[in-house]
Amino acid sequence: MTKIIEKKLVEYPYLPEPLRIITFDNGHKLVLAKKESPMVNISTWVKTGSINENEDNNGVSHFLEHLMFKGTHKYKAGEFDCTLERKGGIINAATWKDYTFYYVTIPKKHLELALHMHADMMIDPVLPDYEIGQTFDPNGTIPKDGRERCVVIEEIRMGQDRSWRKVYDKLNDKMYEKHPYKRNVIGTKEIIARISRDDILAYYQNFYSPKNMTTIIAGQFDDEDIINKVIEEFKFQNTIPKKLLEPDERVPETSIKTPVVLTEEAEIQTGYIMFGFLADKAKNLKETISLDLISVIFGEGKSSRLNQKFIETPEKPHFYQIDTCHYQFKDGDNFFIEANFDPTFKDEVISEVKNEVNLLSKISEEELNKAKKRLKVNFAESAETVSEIADTIGHYMTVMEDVALANEYLKALDEIDTNYIENVVKKYLTNDKCSISILMPKKA
Amino acid sequence: MKLIQKDNIDIILQNTKNTPRMAVCTYFSIDEPEKYAGIYTLFSKLLLKGTKTRSAEDLANIIESNGIETSVKCKQDYIKVSTLFLNEDFDLALEILADILQNSTFDNFEKEVFKLKGEIVSDLDSPQIKASDALVDRIYANHYYGNSLVKTLNDVDKIQKQDVVDVLAQIMNSKKVISIAGDFSDEEKIVNYFTQKFDFMKNSGDYGVSKIPNLLSFDSAGKKDEIIKIVKNDAKQAQIFKGLIVDTQFGQDYPKIVVMNNILGSSGLSSRLFVELRDKQGLAYTVRSSLEPLRHSSLFYYYIGTEPKNIQKSLEGFIVETKKMAENLVSDVELNGAKENILGRLEYFSQTNMQLASIAGYDYIMGLGLDYEEKYREKLSLVTKEDVSKAAEKYLLNPAVISILAPEEYLKNI
Repeated sequence: MTKIIEKKLVEYPYLPEPLRIITFDNGHKLVLAKKESPMVNISTWVKTGSINENEDNNGVSHFLEHLMFKGTHKYKAGEFDCTLERKGGIINAATWKDYTFYYVTIPKKHLELALHMHADMMIDPVLPDYEIGQTFDPNGTIPKDGRERCVVIEEIRMGQDRSWRKVYDKLNDKMYEKHPYKRNVIGTKEIIARISRDDILAYYQNFYSPKNMTTIIAGQFDDEDIINKVIEEFKFQNTIPKKLLEPDERVPETSIKTPVVLTEEAEIQTGYIMFGFLADKAKNLKETISLDLISVIFGEGKSSRLNQKFIETPEKPHFYQIDTCHYQFKDGDNFFIEANFDPTFKDEVISEVKNEVNLLSKISEEELNKAKKRLKVNFAESAETVSEIADTIGHYMTVMEDVALANEYLKALDEIDTNYIENVVKKYLTNDKCSISILMPKKA
Repeated sequence: MKLIQKDNIDIILQNTKNTPRMAVCTYFSIDEPEKYAGIYTLFSKLLLKGTKTRSAEDLANIIESNGIETSVKCKQDYIKVSTLFLNEDFDLALEILADILQNSTFDNFEKEVFKLKGEIVSDLDSPQIKASDALVDRIYANHYYGNSLVKTLNDVDKIQKQDVVDVLAQIMNSKKVISIAGDFSDEEKIVNYFTQKFDFMKNSGDYGVSKIPNLLSFDSAGKKDEIIKIVKNDAKQAQIFKGLIVDTQFGQDYPKIVVMNNILGSSGLSSRLFVELRDKQGLAYTVRSSLEPLRHSSLFYYYIGTEPKNIQKSLEGFIVETKKMAENLVSDVELNGAKENILGRLEYFSQTNMQLASIAGYDYIMGLGLDYEEKYREKLSLVTKEDVSKAAEKYLLNPAVISILAPEEYLKNI
């Protein structure tokens, strides 16, 4: 029987009680977060995503995520969805570079049933051949029973029609030399059409181990009851993978070695541009917070520098939208500036944004204080629903590798001054470390 | 939840203990069609662009430096101006909200017209938005609800600043309400605060009858489906919307339509469209049906994004699933599951103070009543299997508008 080897309490912002973190002897972790709510959220975060893929199986993490809903030995395909949605549950999953997570948010009276079915799905997926679908040549005739392969290929097609997605995918590929982050999480239609069940199962057996999983339960419940229930339901099979997978070598890249400017065309009326930068690991807390602050100052909200300069002040702006965002990753963060613009002003857009990047080397106290307040409010916001609480905890447990950093975040935030931020700007956010991807209207 | 009517001001209060942020939503009813498409949108954009004492930049700075979220949402039947703030910022956030509602100058009119045009052109780059906009434009042709993005783009240069200024007087004379959700210990103090500082929210009591006509069916000239074809030769997926007009929230059939919609295509991963067209046939990643209730009409639509060569198959799939529902009774498990799913979603979207204040304000301004949720639960419980079939037969087998975006070669034989 699974035993508890560690129990600890960790303070968490804006929650009435500290988080309870339990580690079991098989490595599986459980986090309990108390929140008064009619709903309860159960999530399991698996420490795998495209970070553990290679050229041959790119997209397998995401494909497996779809296939996890295709039945277990206890419940056939579709039963999980039907049963829980018919109890008022919202269920889904998501795959990203560092993680894959599965969740159920459901009225609290159905907590036990939801936990039972969620655990069953996580530990005993059947991955039936029939549901995976026949392999096929994606450029030939698609078979009638392509099943979930076809669904994922439609998801790929959907992304190819989205302007921002096109710009991001091109840029992401060119920001890295070798790191697996350079690949598209969803993979390619060629790989999805041909990857075998054996390869998918081997991936599951390699990466869906108890030590790679954190289960989070947020809402109202009795702690001891729920811990016992988790022990009872998460009976991991001691499977030895039939095939040991070797993900690509991961040498962190924290700066773009060969900056490039890429331009593509599509049947659109406006221009899309993304400027991309690399930075250090997310768990470098002070630098991560600094990049969050810079993002607020530079491009989040109407009062941000870029919005004031290019959208709010000009009488006839040639920018329609401009924002910044900071993505946190285990092996190194990304920082993006993204703009949608009148395509006749492409050259001006590039030079004007570059000019603003140069001016980032000076940050005022007033700007810093505004950004600090925003980030504090973000924490309050992320504690408002059981789903947001579970998502934030999952992110900290997986990407930051320590949920205690959530509470330290607010303390470290107060310590950061303008000098520190300016040094982070110099280290990561300069034009010589930036790649650019542009999507322009097709010429007539 | 409590409705307090004091000094002709309607205030809805929901006291949610131990919550760090308070939400205040002001709702204004829209009872007149726009003279030109886009007037209400421009008005909403200009509300945050400067008051008599604060420039647009000053407003953005003071709001964002304090972590306050102030927004204006313009929908067909109402304008919602809301603010969300940490409890410690109560006075400042509400002083700003009152300033915006009373003292906006609309001085940046030309600039906002220019920006709006750019934003619409950009929105229409999205194949999905382009196809859905065409559906709305056609199904609500000659009705105010048909003021689509394309129509706004065509009309926006005809709009004068005075048209926008007039909206303020118009909505101040319409039905309005303040809806608050947050942690407040002294209810009377809150009520007194709003009656003193928000006295401009007084209802006159004679705001009259809406000038927006009801539109309860789609008038198809040929008594058959109308197909709108939009060519986009580099589209990897076809975007298909099929829309029909159904009963409004005030009608007897509405709860039946809600249950039918849930089973057909809106329950999540287990709806019939999802299981049949996505899981079994692999036609799509996204397929669903949706219901958009408006005060004078309701729009029901099917949506699928699919490989262009599957357009016909997808349209047939919509018909097959609809006919199945109209001709055969759903099971008890499906019926009861749909009801629980609907109620679960209601709870899911009633967790934050902003959600609570918004739902209550919406129910009130739309004339549904603050006891709507209770009545809704009761009406849902009474829906039978026969009701579901009848609703499908009555509404979904009528002539529809179908909007399809795809490369030209795939549209020729549709």
